[in-house]
Amino acid sequence: MQVPEDYFSLFSLERRFAIDKNALAANFRALQNENHPDRVAADDEQAKLLAVQKSSLLNDAYATLKSPLARAGYLLTLQGVDVEGVSQDDLDMAVLMEQMELREKVAEAPAGEAGLAVLLPIKRDIQSRIAAREQRFVANLEGDDLSSAKRVFHELQFLHKLFQEIEVNEEKRLGY
Amino acid sequence: MVLLQIQEPGGKPARPKHRLAVGIDLGTTNSLVAARCGLKVETLPDESGEHLLPSIVHYGSDGLISVGRKAKAFALTDPKNTLVSVKRMLGKGLTELRQLGHYLPYEFDATREDTAPAVLTHAGSKDPVAVSSDILSVLKARAERALKGELEGAVITVPAYFNDAQRQQTKEAAELAGINVLRLLNEPTAAAVAYGLDSADQGNIVVFDLGGGTFDVSLLSLTRGVFEVLSTGGDTNLGGDDFDRLLAAWLISQSGESAVVEGEALQLANELKHQLSDVEEVEFTMEDYQGSLSREQFAEIAKEPLSRAMMICRRSLRDARLGLDEIDNVVLVGGSTRMPLVRAAVAEFFGREPLTSIDPDKVVAVGAGIQADVLIGNKSDSDFLLLDVTPLSLGIETMGELVEKIIPRNTTIPVSRAQEFTTFKDGQTAMALHVLQGEREAVADCRSLARFTLRGIPSMVAGAAKIRVTFQVDADGLLSVSAEEIFTGVKSEIQVKPSYGLEAETIESILQASQENARADMELRSLQEAKVDAMQLIDAVAAAVIADPQLLEEGEEQRINEGVAALAAALENGSSAEVSDLTAALNRISGDFAARRMDVHISRALQGESI
Repeated sequence: MQVPEDYFSLFSLERRFAIDKNALAANFRALQNENHPDRVAADDEQAKLLAVQKSSLLNDAYATLKSPLARAGYLLTLQGVDVEGVSQDDLDMAVLMEQMELREKVAEAPAGEAGLAVLLPIKRDIQSRIAAREQRFVANLEGDDLSSAKRVFHELQFLHKLFQEIEVNEEKRLGY
Repeated sequence: MVLLQIQEPGGKPARPKHRLAVGIDLGTTNSLVAARCGLKVETLPDESGEHLLPSIVHYGSDGLISVGRKAKAFALTDPKNTLVSVKRMLGKGLTELRQLGHYLPYEFDATREDTAPAVLTHAGSKDPVAVSSDILSVLKARAERALKGELEGAVITVPAYFNDAQRQQTKEAAELAGINVLRLLNEPTAAAVAYGLDSADQGNIVVFDLGGGTFDVSLLSLTRGVFEVLSTGGDTNLGGDDFDRLLAAWLISQSGESAVVEGEALQLANELKHQLSDVEEVEFTMEDYQGSLSREQFAEIAKEPLSRAMMICRRSLRDARLGLDEIDNVVLVGGSTRMPLVRAAVAEFFGREPLTSIDPDKVVAVGAGIQADVLIGNKSDSDFLLLDVTPLSLGIETMGELVEKIIPRNTTIPVSRAQEFTTFKDGQTAMALHVLQGEREAVADCRSLARFTLRGIPSMVAGAAKIRVTFQVDADGLLSVSAEEIFTGVKSEIQVKPSYGLEAETIESILQASQENARADMELRSLQEAKVDAMQLIDAVAAAVIADPQLLEEGEEQRINEGVAALAAALENGSSAEVSDLTAALNRISGDFAARRMDVHISRALQGESI
């Protein structure tokens, strides 16, 4: 396994947001098949250590590209954008209002399992908002408008976080 | 643990063509060993033809150690020296063990209460690792007799939900028995391996494993010989024993006999449970009481553990982001899945009949045997690979006794993740790190794996030092943590050792930074860093004084100017510590002025003026 230029080239993919998920999975499995520590389970410690490192890199790369949010962040990082730091410029007042509205809706769901019926359409709504934002992200990135792309990325972070919180909320209602 | 390699006189024996490797299912109730015999991987019987070895060890007063059926006979007559379900004790402290409320008729070794719980027996103090090792030794001997050769390695299965300490101790027990561990394999994964290869299945598989003492559910996807574990869930304290216990309690309450010995009620419960797998209703006699038990009644008695298991299934589906309609197969593992009420509940939940063509008691050992054969190199051309995940999140304690997750659960392993931390006090030269495992946010709710201290951090202002903490989980699911101070480049590493519940606090490994050779380099680098900070501050203060002179209080400008002059002098020929100290001093002197400027600018901004 060669040291790759980036995670996309590692899996023989074009460096872009829209990827062929099946090709990603197939190439990941093929590379893991060659490099996994299990392939050298009966060999010496040095070989095992090297295999652990290669295999870890593959797992990390795969996890990054598999998740649309992590993939978007990674594309920005490759362009030299620092996605860790969030400044005032990165957040629109309208986005904060959107978050507040969605969170209010979640809070209004009745207690217990009865609330699940209310949460489901909110989740669908968030999913469609995520899809729309992803399209804008791609347009911004292709148009080389990195600051807009970064803004959309942070909006996506908010939406994904809220989505996860709703799932935890659902779990609690189901009793675990 | 490194074992002595004893070489026979007369040089190395010729290596056999087929290298001998076995799969071992070290179970709570029963253990098995499996190996390739010709074309098929099968479990190996003992001399009397029995495949299942009860995981029971008896230490006799005559010095005799018996394992399995022979030991089981002593469970009622000599319970203090008969260790059962020892797997449940692995990786746990005594306090934790007692809280779990299991039947523990043992006398524990008071001198070892702080570490692993050890039982005082005729053969001395025996901890769970030693007892497990005695079971493994018997299986090893059985395999070597059946295969007529020396074992080169073994794959040992563990519940997917086992934490780091439990995995470590399983490995230790195997090594103590002289077994070379090729891999610790999650039990449900092993079961899917057994089915996957035998039936050449493709798609998403649920493995529902209800054993004597533990419950696991795993979701796997199988594509062209590669198994990917999508999620795992489970409970290390949920199993067939719980059904026995509930049924025993019911029997006692029905008969109203206070004289009934708990052990006897348990035995009767266990018998009735087995009988109900074949018939709809059973009659029983307990002391003078005669009664009957139907499947329906039993289902009602066993409602709680069963619904707990189904809840865990639901969660695993969610973790894997799979819907019920995306499940292609459900595999049943563990003797407890023979219960018709369990099969019915599984079929109802997943909306399909589960696979049962392989004996649920043997399927894990068979899968481990297949994997052992691949790992030892007998099938080097195989394109078959297992990708496992971490069962529990791993993290580190941060401010406010909260846990910051570094590796979330269900991350594919091996994995390496790093996080940067910094000092919070000026001149801080050591940092305590607390490694935890679990899903909850509060430290108190997670399991403490290790504490260690990184020493030798260069003295800097708060927040300037950069400590990179790296978590590495290997293919066995075992964790090692390393910490590196970035300025000095010094790196130290520890393998996280098993800890025992509440006593984990006492485990402390010290990372002594051996930084001698890096010291000169470090001083130079930290001086440069300090100078950059100092110059930035001088520029900022000067600009502020010019911009907002009206905000300065009486005498304040003079104090600020003095601070700037002192710092500027230190920039010429001071050490990094002097530059840092004076930078901090100037920050303090100009702090109030900066705060006033901030207030004014914010209020202007709120009124719509541009800054």
